[in-house]
Amino acid sequence: MRLPLLLALTLCAAPFAARAADTASLTVTFTGLEPRGAVNFVLVNSAEAYGDKAAPVAADRIAVTGDTASKTFEGLAPGRYAVKAFHDVNGDGKMGTNPFGIPTEPYGFSNNAKAAMGPPKWDEAAFQVNAGAGVQTISMAR
Amino acid sequence: MDRRQLLGAFCATAAASLITPEVARAAQPTWSAAFADLDADVPRTPMTLVRGRAPAGLAGSLYRNGPGKFRRPGGSVEHWFDGDGLMRAYRIADGRATVEARFIDTPKRRADIAANAVVTPGFGTPARPGAKVGDNDDVNAANISVMRVGGELWALWEAGSPIAVDPADLSTKGVRTLRDDLKHMPFLAHPSRGPDGDVWSLGVNGSKAIVWRLAADGTLKEARMLDMPRASYIHDFVTTPRHLVLYLQPWVQDRFTTPYADSFSWRPEMGSQVLVVDKADFSRRRVYELPPAFAFHFGGAWEDADGTIRFDGCFSPDPSFARENGRSLMTGTYKRQAPPLLGLVTLRPDGKAGVESVGVAAEFPRNGARTAEPRRYTIHAAGDAPDVPMFNGLASHDWKTGRADAFNFGAGMLMEEAVFVARPGGSGELDGWLLAPAVNTKAGATELHAFDARRIADGPVCTWRAPLTLPVSLHGTFVGA
Repeated sequence: MRLPLLLALTLCAAPFAARAADTASLTVTFTGLEPRGAVNFVLVNSAEAYGDKAAPVAADRIAVTGDTASKTFEGLAPGRYAVKAFHDVNGDGKMGTNPFGIPTEPYGFSNNAKAAMGPPKWDEAAFQVNAGAGVQTISMAR
Repeated sequence: MDRRQLLGAFCATAAASLITPEVARAAQPTWSAAFADLDADVPRTPMTLVRGRAPAGLAGSLYRNGPGKFRRPGGSVEHWFDGDGLMRAYRIADGRATVEARFIDTPKRRADIAANAVVTPGFGTPARPGAKVGDNDDVNAANISVMRVGGELWALWEAGSPIAVDPADLSTKGVRTLRDDLKHMPFLAHPSRGPDGDVWSLGVNGSKAIVWRLAADGTLKEARMLDMPRASYIHDFVTTPRHLVLYLQPWVQDRFTTPYADSFSWRPEMGSQVLVVDKADFSRRRVYELPPAFAFHFGGAWEDADGTIRFDGCFSPDPSFARENGRSLMTGTYKRQAPPLLGLVTLRPDGKAGVESVGVAAEFPRNGARTAEPRRYTIHAAGDAPDVPMFNGLASHDWKTGRADAFNFGAGMLMEEAVFVARPGGSGELDGWLLAPAVNTKAGATELHAFDARRIADGPVCTWRAPLTLPVSLHGTFVGA
């Protein structure tokens, strides 16, 4: 969880966020889950952060108790965002990989962008968040 | 997730691919019927006895796997090895035979059907826009071989998990994960069954392999990692009771690209190597040097009392079938190439090694029954015909006398791999029958030939004919009644 960063971003956006109508809320919902463990995910707002070269807007972990799990972010600056997630089925905090480095736990990306010999590119996963309430639903089903 | 990790096994990289324009299909050679698409499953269908009489005691099911669907409106496979896995069952009872065929329900097939195009990359087919390649099993064609494990059949590819199939109706039961932390690890299509019933297999990624050891019912006994001296293309391997024997040909993976076959370079100057590893302790190993040769398939290995190891295989001068002709088959433009030749590798305790070639064109080497004696025979497809991509006959080679027992149907009979079926109550390495399907292009039908394994030259003791042609299959297994 990178709360300080989230705060910093919110503060930076403050001049533009004087009215609630100018900020965005975003509800991210993960579907197709097996009810155990947690979903670990990051919300990012740049290609750099998407490529782990800059800090994310948020990094979070939500317990999975049903076949879906959701999280709502308030006060986001409108713009381009992307989500990268994996389902930490065994609860060890890491994305499981087999000895050849292939993921053994479900993962997903915003726009339900598909992995193709590697993670989808920023352009494929990025979505627009406008002022007001937005939703992003990501299927984690394998 | 690291991009390079996903590049790992079969999930090689590619920018959105350029699709090679298909060669215009003008007049197709007659053999192309054996590589045509099957568009729908085939329900159980009686075959007609067209030659001889069914031998008493021959009863059970011959299961066979191989690619069966290659072309889709929005784009097709570019290599024979990339067609959708098609499981077939030839069932023999009371002197009658039936045939049925059902596609294996893989994520790859589903994705390609949904796209109305072959978008999923493979051995010789690039990734195309819309491909989903999150792990090896997204691209698993399940199209090379079939193994019986407990009450299931496992359709095997070589770079993904086994996929279980119900032997009763050939329906797909799902991907088999042998241990949660080993999900999506590759499993070769040519596992080796030891005298104790244990099944050994490999999964290869560059110069590393996972070594699988399973009980006969498919339960995982152990999985260990093995480092190899080079990143050879490995399709098959052999075992003795004590050793794993890996033929490391100089077709080595030196880059990550799609299709997979393009990530290998032929480096004859490196020669071939054979890595022999003690099953009990992988640090006990020996590397033998051999002249360069390419091989897909080996028969089996045996070990003399003095520690000498021998194994048979079919050796080609280079990987041109894997690289070029496997592609040409899809467009009906197969070019004449030097056929693989039957050879026997000998690895001596003093470190010397050699290959004895008998100069006989051969593929699909198989063994007869396991006996107490050192193994004597290799069974193989034989009768190489110019400009035709399959063999026209069947033979056994006697390593003791050097004699061949062969039958050649002549042009128009594209022989598939033969499987040995022991005679109930029989003994001896060749005491039984050889069952081999074939595409008879003159009759326009798939046939099933049964030979007496000790009298191949007499021709088939009986032949059943199906009322249709199935694409030629690769490998099979027989399950007695």
